[in-house]
Amino acid sequence: MGAEVESLASRAPKKHTEGKIKINAKRHSRHLLSNSLSRYYFLFSILALCFVLGLVIVFIGKTALLLFADVSPADFFLSFNWTPEEDFFGAGAFIINTLSLTALTLVIAVPISVGMAVLCAEIAPKWLTSFIRPVLDLLVGIPSIVYGYLGLTVLLPFLRRVSGEGLGDGLLAAALVLALMVLPTICRISDDAIVAVPRKYRDAAYALGSTRLQVIMRVVLPAAKRGIISAVILGMTRAIGETMAVVMVIGNTPQLAKSLFSPSSVLTSNIVMQISNVEFDSNWNYALHMMAFLLLLISFALILIIRFMGRKRRDA
Amino acid sequence: MKVFKKFTVTALTAVLAVTTAFAGVAAAADTLKGKITINGSTALLPLTLQAAKEFQKLHPKVKIAASGKGSVTGPQAVKKGIADIGACDWDASIDVPGFKAFDGQVANKVAVIPFATIVNKNVGVDNLTTEQLQGIFSGKITNWKDVGGANADIVVITRSFGSGTRVNYQAKALAGGDIVKKEKNYKETGSSGDMKTAVATTPNSIGYIDLVYVSGSDIKAVKFNGVEATTDNVINGSYKIWAYGYYMTKGQPTGATKEFIEYVQSKKFQNGSLKKLKFIPISAMKG
Repeated sequence: MGAEVESLASRAPKKHTEGKIKINAKRHSRHLLSNSLSRYYFLFSILALCFVLGLVIVFIGKTALLLFADVSPADFFLSFNWTPEEDFFGAGAFIINTLSLTALTLVIAVPISVGMAVLCAEIAPKWLTSFIRPVLDLLVGIPSIVYGYLGLTVLLPFLRRVSGEGLGDGLLAAALVLALMVLPTICRISDDAIVAVPRKYRDAAYALGSTRLQVIMRVVLPAAKRGIISAVILGMTRAIGETMAVVMVIGNTPQLAKSLFSPSSVLTSNIVMQISNVEFDSNWNYALHMMAFLLLLISFALILIIRFMGRKRRDA
Repeated sequence: MKVFKKFTVTALTAVLAVTTAFAGVAAAADTLKGKITINGSTALLPLTLQAAKEFQKLHPKVKIAASGKGSVTGPQAVKKGIADIGACDWDASIDVPGFKAFDGQVANKVAVIPFATIVNKNVGVDNLTTEQLQGIFSGKITNWKDVGGANADIVVITRSFGSGTRVNYQAKALAGGDIVKKEKNYKETGSSGDMKTAVATTPNSIGYIDLVYVSGSDIKAVKFNGVEATTDNVINGSYKIWAYGYYMTKGQPTGATKEFIEYVQSKKFQNGSLKKLKFIPISAMKG
């Protein structure tokens, strides 16, 4: 259609003025039409997304809420006793493990990845940057099962040797694998955010006599804060939802992680370990659905909190 | 482009002609038709797939769809009417620890599945008794020196609750004993493959698995009450850790489903393909 318009336009000057006006009017109405059509298309796209999101929430939520007909919410959220074969459905340990695993992952990954982003955007010579960036893009695309396998065959034996533990599985192993997974994501998005900071900010700071470290810490990073926060959000949601890599190194034992090396289980890993072995119409199945629903709520809540924090600091 | 088009048309025509010809021949020879859906245990899946392939050669009008998940999904799918056959590692028509009986279902024995206790290659122990295994898996014995090995902590690797392998291992090797989770040196895995990898890569570990998975130099099977885990010892009755694999059906099977189960139970399949897949024919067992 674009080519047609172009050819009409280029032919137009050859004809007399009347025709030209006619063609212009035609073109105008065509633009109006495509404009309004595209509006409907965009509207449809977002509605389709909302529809799917709604379906997920309604169906997971509906099955999940069946649980509370038999099991009290207090038992589910506060008890640490997950023994489904004896009708104990306490998911408290999984919730706490999920939160602490995510926190530990971010503590390890965020400083390193922001440091790498600063190196890429501010310090490194061009040849190094043009090498690092494609490598990071490649790392984002590696399937999680591959990271999990590396964790199982390389990281665990190493942790065993260093710590003297018999097994090595646990929160630390899972956090290290997850940190490696979210590192490229956080790094690349932060990198873009830092590059987007206008040149004149830096020039002004240098003109005032700042050192390079002062420019980075006091000017560039604060200016790129919003981008870095959204990078952390993306990394965090990946860490919370990651399943396959975690299953392979966390030990999959439904109990509270009392140390970095005690085998435990998080919401995702427990769901994937058990979902294929439960009966459809059982409290056990409902409890697993409730855990999935909870996972949705936790990631919504965390995203909201971080958004809120970012806005507040910007206002101050 | 033109040549390619011509080629495609020729190829399509050829394929069509061949299929029609085959279908014609088969239709003349065979009147059995229908659709069989099989769901359930991954342990029995290789056997099911092989049988389906051979059965469809004999009866091309029968369509068989087979898939594998957890053992319990087999009888469940049959109960809900999703599947005609539910493959299960235990007899789901009676109660087993953790799972209630599925009423109105018939268990059809199709194979014997042997299991083995496995340890990492660095473990010096090569024989364990029922009492020792009960002690190890219930957490009462935590050091290899208590069962005749070196002074090292025992790392217990187990399957998560609901696994058919776990149900059978608990019933046969632990004589109904419990598998108790621990603060340390305890790990659950989700599949036979994960179990093998975990035991192979963790020094001082012990686990259990289908005998067909025991291979390579990183893991070794230990003797049970002094008897080596081999198919011969299962058949002569001296090795006790084994179980029947079952096809669960809603009531007595009929039509194509019945024919299929009879094919799997037939001498030809049991002594041929089934043996090749390292299962044991049901006719070999006396009990």
